[in-house]
Amino acid sequence: MLESWRLTRVVGRLASLRGSVSQFLYGMMGYEFARHAVEMRHEMEAVFMVVTLGDLIGVPVLPPVYSLRLLPYVVPEIEAWKRHMARRKEFWEKEEYDLHAV
Amino acid sequence: MNTFLAVIIGALTVYLAYTLYARRIDRHVIQSDPKRATPATLFMDGVDFMPTNRNILFGYHFKSIAAAGPIIGAIVAANLWGWLPAIIWLVLGVSFIGWASDYSGIVISVRNEGNSLSAIAHRLVSPRARTILFVFIFFYLLLVAGAFVGIMATVLESQPRVHLGVIMLTVMGLLLGQMLYRWRTGLVGATLLTVGLTFLAILSGPWTEEIFKGLNAAFNSTTGGAPIVTYFDPTLANFKGAEAKMMPSVLIWAIGVALFCYAGSVLPIWRMAQPVVYVGFWVTAAAMVLGLAGALVAPFAKPEVAQFVIPAFKGWNPQLGPAGIMPLWPMLFVTIACGAISGWHALFGAVGTARQIENEADMLPVGGGSMFCEFLLGLLALLAVSVGAKGAPVGAFATGLGGFISVWGVPLQYATSLAFAAFIVIVLVVTQLLFRVMRVTLSEWLGEAIPPMRNQHVASLVSIALAILLMLTGTWVYLWQLFGGANQLMAALSLVLVTVWLASAGKNWLYAGLPAIFMYVTTIASILVTAYNLYFNVYQVNLAAGRVIPVVGSGLMVLVALLLVAAAAIIGIDGWRAFRRYRRQPISAPRPAAARA
Repeated sequence: MLESWRLTRVVGRLASLRGSVSQFLYGMMGYEFARHAVEMRHEMEAVFMVVTLGDLIGVPVLPPVYSLRLLPYVVPEIEAWKRHMARRKEFWEKEEYDLHAV
Repeated sequence: MNTFLAVIIGALTVYLAYTLYARRIDRHVIQSDPKRATPATLFMDGVDFMPTNRNILFGYHFKSIAAAGPIIGAIVAANLWGWLPAIIWLVLGVSFIGWASDYSGIVISVRNEGNSLSAIAHRLVSPRARTILFVFIFFYLLLVAGAFVGIMATVLESQPRVHLGVIMLTVMGLLLGQMLYRWRTGLVGATLLTVGLTFLAILSGPWTEEIFKGLNAAFNSTTGGAPIVTYFDPTLANFKGAEAKMMPSVLIWAIGVALFCYAGSVLPIWRMAQPVVYVGFWVTAAAMVLGLAGALVAPFAKPEVAQFVIPAFKGWNPQLGPAGIMPLWPMLFVTIACGAISGWHALFGAVGTARQIENEADMLPVGGGSMFCEFLLGLLALLAVSVGAKGAPVGAFATGLGGFISVWGVPLQYATSLAFAAFIVIVLVVTQLLFRVMRVTLSEWLGEAIPPMRNQHVASLVSIALAILLMLTGTWVYLWQLFGGANQLMAALSLVLVTVWLASAGKNWLYAGLPAIFMYVTTIASILVTAYNLYFNVYQVNLAAGRVIPVVGSGLMVLVALLLVAAAAIIGIDGWRAFRRYRRQPISAPRPAAARA
C-alpha cells in the first residue's frame, strides 16, 4: 500500500516535471510566434475599434447605427483597448526592440 | 583541471548562489508577495500586459537574453589572461552581481506599474537621465555591430565549410516566415522541414569547402592578390602586434553580411528577422546542449578532449601590441560581460518580461534563473576554448566544442563544422537584430534634426556603413571591449537606479548598491584604458604609416569612448544626488498587498 502511494507520488512528480519542461521549451520556441500573432491581430482590432467606436475619441467614422449593431461584439474588448490607447509608450517598446537574443 | 570539474563548479555556483543568497534577498529585502497584484494582472490588455505561466516566461526570457555575448567574451578573456581569472569572474560575477541586475530590472518595473527603466529614471533620478540612455543604446549597438561584422567576415573568409549552412539558414528562415504567417502551416511541421534542411546543409559543409575556397580565390584575384586595406593589428604575432592585410574576399563577405542585415532590418519582422532567429536558435541550441552534456562526460568517455590546454594564468597585464596595456582589473570585467552581468538583460527584462509576470513569486525564478542559465552558457564557451587547440580564438572555441560534441559519436570533422556553424549563426542572427534596433534608435534620435534619418532605408544604410568603417580598422578586440564597457555601464546604471528606488522605498539597498559602485568604477576605468590603447596602439601607429581608414575608425572609437564616460559621469552625479535625497526622506512606504482571489 505504502509502495503504491510512493509510486503514485513519483509518477505525479515526473508528470509535473515533464509539464514544466514542455512549457519551458514552448517559451523558448513557440511563445514568440504566438505573441507576434497576437500583436498583429491586436493592430487590426485597434483599427476596427477606431472605425466602429470612433466617437469615443471624437472621430466618428461609421454611422452610429452600424456601430450599435457591432457593439455586442466589441464590448468585451473596450476596457483593454482604452487602456492600451491611453497608456504612455516609450519608443523602445516598439517590436524592433524585442531583441529576441543579444 | 578538466571539464567535469568545471561543470560541477558551475552547477554548485548556481545552486548555492540561488538558494543561499538570491532567495534571501527576494524574501527579506524585496519581500515578494504572491498575493500582490502585478502590472500584468492589473493592466491586462492581452498584448503587452499579459499574465503568463512562469515556466513559459522562463524559457522566453532565457532565449531573449542568451546569444553571442557570453561566448565571445569568454573566448577573448581566456586568450588574454588564461582560464582561471575568467572562471573566477564568471562565478563571482553571476553570484553577487549578475542575477541581482537581471532580477532587479524585473522587480523595479513590476513595482512601478510596468514602466521601463528610462521612464523610472526620468521620475526618480532626473529628466536628462532618460535622454542619455539614447546615447548609450546607439553607441552600444554600433560597437557590438562593428565587432560582430568584423568577426563574421573573418571567420566566413577563413572557414569556407560554413558558407552553405549560412546560405541555407537564410533561405529556410524566409521559407519558415512564409509557411507560418501566410500558408498557416503548423509550427512542428514547418520546424522539421526548415531546421532539418539547415542541419543537412551545415553537416554537408566539408563537402562544399573546395567550391567556396575557389570563390574566395576568385574574389582575391580581382586586385591581383593585393589587399584592400592594410592596418596594424595588435592581436597578431602572439599579441606583439603586426601588419595585417584585409583581402577583397573579407570585404565581400562583410558586404554579404551587411546585405543580410539590411534585409533583416527593413523587412517586416515576421518575414525574415524572427524566423531566421528561430531556425538559428535550433542550430545553436543543439550545439550547446550536446556540448555541455559532452563536457560533463568527456573526462570519462574521451579524456583527450577534456583536458585544459591553455595556461591557467597568463599574467596580470599581458602585452597587446607595442604600447598597449591590458590590466586584469578593469579589463577582464568588461571583456566577459553577458555570462557574468549584462546591462541589456535589465533593459529587456523591465520592458518585456516584467509586464508578463503573473505572480511576484515568479520574479526570481524567471529573472535570476535565466541569468544563471546564461552563466552556464558562458562557462561552456570558456571550457571549449580552454580545451581547444592553440590558434585563432574562434577556431580554438570551435575545435573545443566540436570535441565535446564528438563524445556522442559524431565524427570530429562534422562536429567541428556544427560548432563553427553554431558560432557564426548565433552572431549573424543577433547582428541583423542589432541593425534593426540601430535603425529605429537613429531615426528617433536624429529624425527631428535630420529628416532623411526617418527613412528606414537611409537609417539602416548609415548604421551599416558606420559599422563597416569600424570593422575596417581591424581592431575587433578593442571594439569588443568598448562594447563590453558600454554594456557593463548600462548594467551599473540600472543597478544605480535600483539602488535609488530601494532607498526611496526605505529598503536595504546594499545588495544592489555595492555591485553598482564596483561596476560603475570598473567600467569607467576600462573605457579609459581602451581609449588609451586605441590612441597609442592603433591611431598613432596607423597615422605614422599614413593609413586613412584605420585612423578615422580608431579616432571615432576614441571619441565614442570619451562620450560614454561623459554620459556615465552625468548619470552618476544625478544618481548620487537622488540617492542622498531619498536616503534623507524616502518617498513611499511599501504598499499594502492587494487582495487577490
